[in-house]
Amino acid sequence: MSASVPMGRPIGAQLVRVTTPAALIALFLIFAAISPTFRTPGNILHILVNNFSLPALVALGMTLVISAGGIDLSVGVAADIAAMLAVTLMEHGSGLGLSLIAGIGGALVVGLLDALLITVFGISPFLATLGVLFIGESVQQLATNGGTPIYLVSNYPAAGLDYLAHGQILGLPLTLWLVALAVVLVQVLLSSTAFGRHLRAIGAEPRVAWHSGLPVRRTTWLVYLLSALLCGLAGLLLSATVKSYVPLSGNAFMLDAIGAVFVGTTISREARPNVLGTLLGVFFFGMLHNGLLLIGWNFYWQQVAIGLLVFIVLGISFLSRRLQTAD
Amino acid sequence: MSSNVLADQAPAFTERSVDLEDRDIRRARRQSQVIRLGSIAALIAVFAYFSAVAPGFANLGNIANVIEQSAVLALLAFGMSIVVLGGGGDVIRGGIDLSLGANLGLCVAVFAVASNAGFSDWLAVAITFGTGAAVGLLNAIAVVGLGVLPLLATLAVMNICAGAELVLTQNTVISTNSPLLGSIVGLSWLGLSVTDWVLVAATVVLIVLVQGTRWGLRLQAVGGQRQAARAAGLRVQAYLAGTYVAAGLLAALAAILQAARLSGSSPGSGDILLSVVLTSLMSTVFSRRLLPTIGGTLLSVLFIGSLINGFQLLNVSSYWVNGVQGVLILFVVAVRSLSTRRGGA
Repeated sequence: MSASVPMGRPIGAQLVRVTTPAALIALFLIFAAISPTFRTPGNILHILVNNFSLPALVALGMTLVISAGGIDLSVGVAADIAAMLAVTLMEHGSGLGLSLIAGIGGALVVGLLDALLITVFGISPFLATLGVLFIGESVQQLATNGGTPIYLVSNYPAAGLDYLAHGQILGLPLTLWLVALAVVLVQVLLSSTAFGRHLRAIGAEPRVAWHSGLPVRRTTWLVYLLSALLCGLAGLLLSATVKSYVPLSGNAFMLDAIGAVFVGTTISREARPNVLGTLLGVFFFGMLHNGLLLIGWNFYWQQVAIGLLVFIVLGISFLSRRLQTAD
Repeated sequence: MSSNVLADQAPAFTERSVDLEDRDIRRARRQSQVIRLGSIAALIAVFAYFSAVAPGFANLGNIANVIEQSAVLALLAFGMSIVVLGGGGDVIRGGIDLSLGANLGLCVAVFAVASNAGFSDWLAVAITFGTGAAVGLLNAIAVVGLGVLPLLATLAVMNICAGAELVLTQNTVISTNSPLLGSIVGLSWLGLSVTDWVLVAATVVLIVLVQGTRWGLRLQAVGGQRQAARAAGLRVQAYLAGTYVAAGLLAALAAILQAARLSGSSPGSGDILLSVVLTSLMSTVFSRRLLPTIGGTLLSVLFIGSLINGFQLLNVSSYWVNGVQGVLILFVVAVRSLSTRRGGA
């Protein structure tokens, strides 16, 4: 292999792969230079807890799904259903444990439905999860009379919920520990288990995987259930933080998670989804939101800037990848 | 590199002997016919049910109303269908334009702002079309020029458009009035409003363009067999870029109808995106070769439109609409994939 590769190529390949990290560092330095608040350790922690953790959980699930050649548009539904069930139960006086378990159960039902439609009915993941997204929106609207938020005002397990949202272990927020746990779980699953190998094979060459006798269906079920589980966790953490359930609020996760996973593929040599890349992508988005706010950009301009920056990063990395394979 | 080598070899695994393919093709053709007729039967059944149950549904005025309410969605879905047709059906690697909804919102805002700034109608219309085309061009540059996956490129452009709309409107309603908007709402001919006629004209022009001209035929070749199209000497890149610009122009046209209907611009236009994706992909069940078509797209849009309208007449809560749309698409696609699987495997 190495003998047939022209001399210039490895350097070119390195260049593509550093586009995203380089953009991340450059923007970090720019924000740090303009805003003294931005570079304080407190703000970095703030970014990690408020702009990074929950999208990271969803994006980790999306990393598995996209690695397996699928896509999950129903991530917001899984997060919302989990929050809806948990908050409704708590409002009616249920204990914290039961409510959280019911929430996760609700999220898993969404994952089950996705997997059922994809494996048994043979619907493409995009359309299957799009259908589930539509149905999930209707379910929430019907359950909340058109989208009325449910606020936890009194008579709910406040201490437990507070701990979930703001608790600390060894000086670090509980949320970050959960994200770390999810990172380890997804990384180990992807890189060191038979499940991970099957999943990547299915993603790379579905037909070859099928003809090689890999357990395509079982792997697909697991992938969508894991994604739904992580989304449900994100939904529960969100509702614990804001002490309420706002219908359809989880949809904000969907496009950011997809974007983060694909931005993350730019650091991989084979342009595959990977955990580190996804985390970089999520941090990139989170840092942009926080940084643009702190350097005083209007909320509306932030969105334009984020769109443009993502456009530029994607453009550079895909263009250089294309130039590489063309020469 | 290694993944490319694999991808080149992949078709070898799926090749079958010629007569097997022949039999499969015949069977697939028969099945797609069943699906197509079944879908049209479902459409007729829904119409028949609502005409029997919902008072005033089959009334000519109400039908015009359905068409009127569906026009914006239909024009956007036409754009999506053209992009999917040119890019190929694979949703992630093929053609898709997620920026259509945000482009609509931006174009409505641009028209409203330009109109309120004292520009004449025709200048405002020109600026709006310029905006729509520019957004399409941005997509084309990213997808064709830089080689970014359409799903991602149009996602980034969607963010840019949604942000630009917010900057222009400050997230508020911008009311506007102009002679053009007035006549779009006010005039009618043969019982159909200007909006209805625009939709009819767009449908006819696009059907002829996509299904009846050399450009359309070659576009389908580009979408179906890109390598073969390139080998045959087609300028694949130009065709692909053209589809995104065409989609952008259709979004601008839809924006002017939307501005007339809402008397200006109001936030939230981007929410239409998922319905656009739904109706465009659903259109494939109305086509013989299971490809998106303009006629099929129109049928899907009218199907969804009459469902919503029928529900309104029956006083069913509008909260059901999304769910019914979701079940519908799953049903249609499941029937299609189950029958093709039986034929293929």
